[in-house]
Amino acid sequence: MIGAPLNGATFYRDVAPIIYRHCSACHQPGQPAPFSLLTYDDAKRHASQIARVTKARYMPPWLPEHGYGDFADEQRLSAAEIQTIAAWVAAGAPEGDPRDAPSKPEILGDGWRLGKPDLVLQAGEPLRVPAQSGDIFWNFTFRPRLTQTRYVRGIEIRPGGGAALVHHANLLIDRTHSTDLLEARRGAGFAGMELTIDRNPFDPPSHFLFWKPGSTPHFEEQGFAWRLDPGNVLVLNTHLQPSGKPEEVRPEIALYFTGQTPSRFPLLVELENDDALGIPAGARDFQVSDDFTLPMDVDVQAIYPHAHYLGKRLEAYATLPDGKRVWLIRIPDWNFDWQAVYRYKEPVFLPKGSVVSMRFSYDNSAANVRNPNQPPKRVQAGNRAGDEMAHLWLQLLPRGRGDRRRELEEAVERHRAEKNPDNFTAHLNLGALLLSRLKTQEAIDELETALKLNGASAEAHDMLGSALRSVGRAQEAIAQFRAALEIEPAYVEARYNLAVSLARAGDLQNAIRNFRLVIKAFPNDSRLRNEWGELLAGSGDLSGALEEFQIAVRLDPANRDAAKNRDWVLARQAGQ
Amino acid sequence: MAPILLSAAAGVQTLDGRTTQIPSSIGKVTVLVFLRTDCPLGKRYAPELGRIAKEFSGPAVQFWMVFPDKSENAAEIRSMMSEYRFPGTAVRDPDQSVVKQAHATTAPEAAVFGRNGKLLYHGRIDDRYVDYGKVKPEPQVHDLEDAIRAALAGKAVARAETQAFGCALADIE
Repeated sequence: MIGAPLNGATFYRDVAPIIYRHCSACHQPGQPAPFSLLTYDDAKRHASQIARVTKARYMPPWLPEHGYGDFADEQRLSAAEIQTIAAWVAAGAPEGDPRDAPSKPEILGDGWRLGKPDLVLQAGEPLRVPAQSGDIFWNFTFRPRLTQTRYVRGIEIRPGGGAALVHHANLLIDRTHSTDLLEARRGAGFAGMELTIDRNPFDPPSHFLFWKPGSTPHFEEQGFAWRLDPGNVLVLNTHLQPSGKPEEVRPEIALYFTGQTPSRFPLLVELENDDALGIPAGARDFQVSDDFTLPMDVDVQAIYPHAHYLGKRLEAYATLPDGKRVWLIRIPDWNFDWQAVYRYKEPVFLPKGSVVSMRFSYDNSAANVRNPNQPPKRVQAGNRAGDEMAHLWLQLLPRGRGDRRRELEEAVERHRAEKNPDNFTAHLNLGALLLSRLKTQEAIDELETALKLNGASAEAHDMLGSALRSVGRAQEAIAQFRAALEIEPAYVEARYNLAVSLARAGDLQNAIRNFRLVIKAFPNDSRLRNEWGELLAGSGDLSGALEEFQIAVRLDPANRDAAKNRDWVLARQAGQ
Repeated sequence: MAPILLSAAAGVQTLDGRTTQIPSSIGKVTVLVFLRTDCPLGKRYAPELGRIAKEFSGPAVQFWMVFPDKSENAAEIRSMMSEYRFPGTAVRDPDQSVVKQAHATTAPEAAVFGRNGKLLYHGRIDDRYVDYGKVKPEPQVHDLEDAIRAALAGKAVARAETQAFGCALADIE
């Protein structure tokens, strides 16, 4: 413990222990802070500034209020520590006796902090940041060349660029190629503050992969690895601020694999109420809430509250079935620039039936200096910096055995559709989830509701087609796939579904015509080539089929079905 | 009575270490911007200072970037000037004599001296940085620009003194 000698505080004895522990990890060469705080001279050169920023609790950056959630890596000075610094500065920042000095702060250097990575990825293309502009929101893409599924037990993100250029970064896993169309070229990246990645209902997001200045990379605990499949795209969503000169930013990511398959399956659950965000101009304390009842016992691992520049007070708590309130986080003065994922020192247990509550307030008055609109104007939810958001993400680990993510996810999606009965996406997502849970009739109902709200969604038609097909309503399914393709002729998934359905219904001619377009879109997919061959064989075109089976094997020598099919055709031809 | 700019000009140095004077300001408007090589905010203002210098380009307004920290070396200052494309001429003020004449306390801070050599304005460049963690998306008041315009017109500056925000100059005395 550090005392607070109001008189006679010296650097080495009193201040160095505070600075080395709380400041030096960022304030050193190669790290994000703009100047070093490693020596007496460094501290002396910024002494009055240090006194001011610590007193204002601007540094070290730490938004949550003490006592409202017990977080790991809490970067917060005690009142006594702040007083010690103030007393030292008031006394003229004396050096004191070097023999009193604590051990020197760790120098992090250039190496990866988690050791030698199994795979290092570099963003497809660098971003050129101009000398001057407003905040920049950019998504970098990474395409790991994997030949097999890997399990990731740790990542380290190196944002790159000059000091303090990148303010925060979120790594997202695109398992559905939903970001492909957003890039002008593969690897070029794309602009955008918030991005929506279509969820793969079978492997929903489970981990916060977050970087902020000063964050320490960590390995996941035993069993908590996450899967990365061949073809997955990693997207790094970054917030940058120009430094005053043109810079190039090209982030790198180090991945650390494990041979152990995951045995613990957390889920990122989002409370939100974007639909309630119609904040009148001038409103000083506009409140938004969401309340979600837990369908099972969970442990809360981490929390990530998120609003934009009007966010003022961000709170989350749980009310247990016995009425007791458990605080999850309280941020009294939200600052978008210092947003972070907060991990609990010990997971917070919440029993089934607990209600998790989000309570956010917003200041859309001219007195909010961060207000993007001066004079203020009415603000709604949206993806631009001038729009707002009301999101609270929680990493929840269901208690019990196995992967219970989809059970939890179903409750989340049901809650969202009930909360927003007129929200197309809410019903679509619930429909997709129910479909993956084999609750097909319920899925059909939800998807029909979704289509009533937005009949122009090719995705909803395609999904409804899949649901109808799986309950044997083949002709209705075909009609839905056709409807999807009428809206979006290049929708390959719907094209594939249509081709397969037509083939099963015996319309081989039309099936072949449609499948040809699928192959054109994905010429290098071994599995599709094999199916294409099967379709050709079924229509009697054996030589065409053989060619496809051979291509399929060449593309993926491990494709046993294709090899078997090839051998079957060869045997038949030999027998003739 | 405002002090006359650089009446004694003691201790002002070129980057080569030669003692020099900022040339007589009589008849011209002189703009000083105090900077530190280790202060990020000053660097972030480089494009804005470039814009202002361009707006007032010509012999009537002279821009000087003043580096008061004697522990900085000339190479650091040169590379900061060129990398960030600061306008004007860099000089060093190791005794902080110009700092005192301009009543400057902060890096970055601007000072404007009128055609008669009087200090007309000192303080922030604009009002974008309100406090730690409180930053406007765009400045609403362009104090330095307004002060230069008033100085050229021979008028008084509406707000002759504002609080600049950044790194304290007192720490490097």
